Amino acid sequence: MKNEKSSRISRDKILLLVTCYLSLVTDAHAMHISEGILPFNWAALWFAVALPFVAYGLYRLKKLSAVDLSFKPLVGLMAAIVFVISCMPIPVPTAGTCSHPGGTAIPAILVGPSISVLVTAVALLIQALFLAHGGLSTWGADIVSMGVMGAFTGFAVFRLLRRFNLSLAVSGFFAGILSDWAIYLTTSVQLASGIRGDEPFTPLFTKIVIAFVPTQLPLGILEGAMTAGMVVLLYKKRPDLLVKMKVLKPEEAI
Amino acid sequence: MEIFSEHFNKDNFLSKIDVKVKLLVVLSLLVMVLSCTKIFFPILIAMGCFLLCLKMKIAPRVLLLRMAQPLFFALVILLLKLFFSGKDTMFSISLPTSDFSLLTLTGHRDGLIEGLKITSRILGGVSLVMAFGFATPFAEILAGLSWLRLPKQFIEITMFAYRYIFMFLEDAHTIYNAQKNRLGYSGMRKGMKSFGTLAGSLVIRGFDQSQKTSEAMIQRGYTGDMPMIDGRPLRFGEVFFAAIFVFFAGAVWMI
Repeated sequence: MKNEKSSRISRDKILLLVTCYLSLVTDAHAMHISEGILPFNWAALWFAVALPFVAYGLYRLKKLSAVDLSFKPLVGLMAAIVFVISCMPIPVPTAGTCSHPGGTAIPAILVGPSISVLVTAVALLIQALFLAHGGLSTWGADIVSMGVMGAFTGFAVFRLLRRFNLSLAVSGFFAGILSDWAIYLTTSVQLASGIRGDEPFTPLFTKIVIAFVPTQLPLGILEGAMTAGMVVLLYKKRPDLLVKMKVLKPEEAI
Repeated sequence: MEIFSEHFNKDNFLSKIDVKVKLLVVLSLLVMVLSCTKIFFPILIAMGCFLLCLKMKIAPRVLLLRMAQPLFFALVILLLKLFFSGKDTMFSISLPTSDFSLLTLTGHRDGLIEGLKITSRILGGVSLVMAFGFATPFAEILAGLSWLRLPKQFIEITMFAYRYIFMFLEDAHTIYNAQKNRLGYSGMRKGMKSFGTLAGSLVIRGFDQSQKTSEAMIQRGYTGDMPMIDGRPLRFGEVFFAAIFVFFAGAVWMI
């Protein structure tokens, strides 16, 4: 029993070392599940999960763009911004490498989570087709992790903290962190369920979570800082935009 | 962003084929690669796609850069499967640890085979989409997706996004360089603040640009819907050869 336990600890240590090494030799883009990783049945399942969220996002888009003709261009431009932000390399000190933020908390706070699912889906499609980040077959899985989990978590955390009268910076910071970590955990669930074969789910899930700790833990904090910085800048320079997007009440924007 | 496919010459033998036919072939092959239980077929597809990319005069360095992320994933999964799954022992390595004891790492044959299957799927799938991306301009891909009944609104916002990506990339680059020159990334705290400012500036630019764009479009008759490229009707010859190609690929897949 003791031997088994110590061997398990040793395995986890080795795994951590291997991961650190891999993180050192290449840039980490750990958020996207690459093309081909998920077998057909799992890829199809994640498409089915993503579909109602995308459909609801399209319904909201249709409704909102009927009232405001500038809304569709705004959503498209937001997708372009998410694409650019998720392409920006930011240094991750613990891994000694660069990684890329998800950037989904920003549109979730500004245009709401349902539209944010669309924004993410567009950014992911372009990345899959032209940069090989993510993939066509894993598009559904990536929409669920980044678009659905990332956006809804970021939005819920931001709104909840604002309700407790916390500042924009603090709310934005925690929205960014938790959104990033929600993406990371969902990606780990998707990877573990997709590649486990006949193995039990939980041990593999734990190993994958440990494997991405060196990049994703600090990256979450950096993403939180980025989201907070973005909200604060908007408050200082263009509070009217925050009012328009119903992030602030008109009386708060002084 | 030199690895962006749109920067490459799209005037090649594959770009002349109808995007609908290319999409159908790529999607059929992708389904075969994903549902394949052997290593041979996805590797064959990967090799074919690499050769096609080289024939399209895409530099090997660009192909390797593009493959960096998927290869990273493939390597992690291969090692996970080799050392942490399976029962049939293949080899053991003893490694010294910080407390001078030895750690034994066991590689499993069945784990390795399982890992290689996933790795081959990744290589096959990524190279297929990569070759498709290099062979087709983005506007045509959107027309193809529209033909596959992807919602019109989705296509429209994708077109808006694609139109402005390059502008935002340039803006982001300019702001980043200006921040860097003023030591905006000289410390952790400063770096995080600068990155937040960069993201915020892009969002402000995005809002303003969306207003300008919609005003300009309304002046030109925009009523909320954008016209799509209809594309030419399917040609019998292209469909016939594509069907034969997919049929033979299916036969190889079944072997």
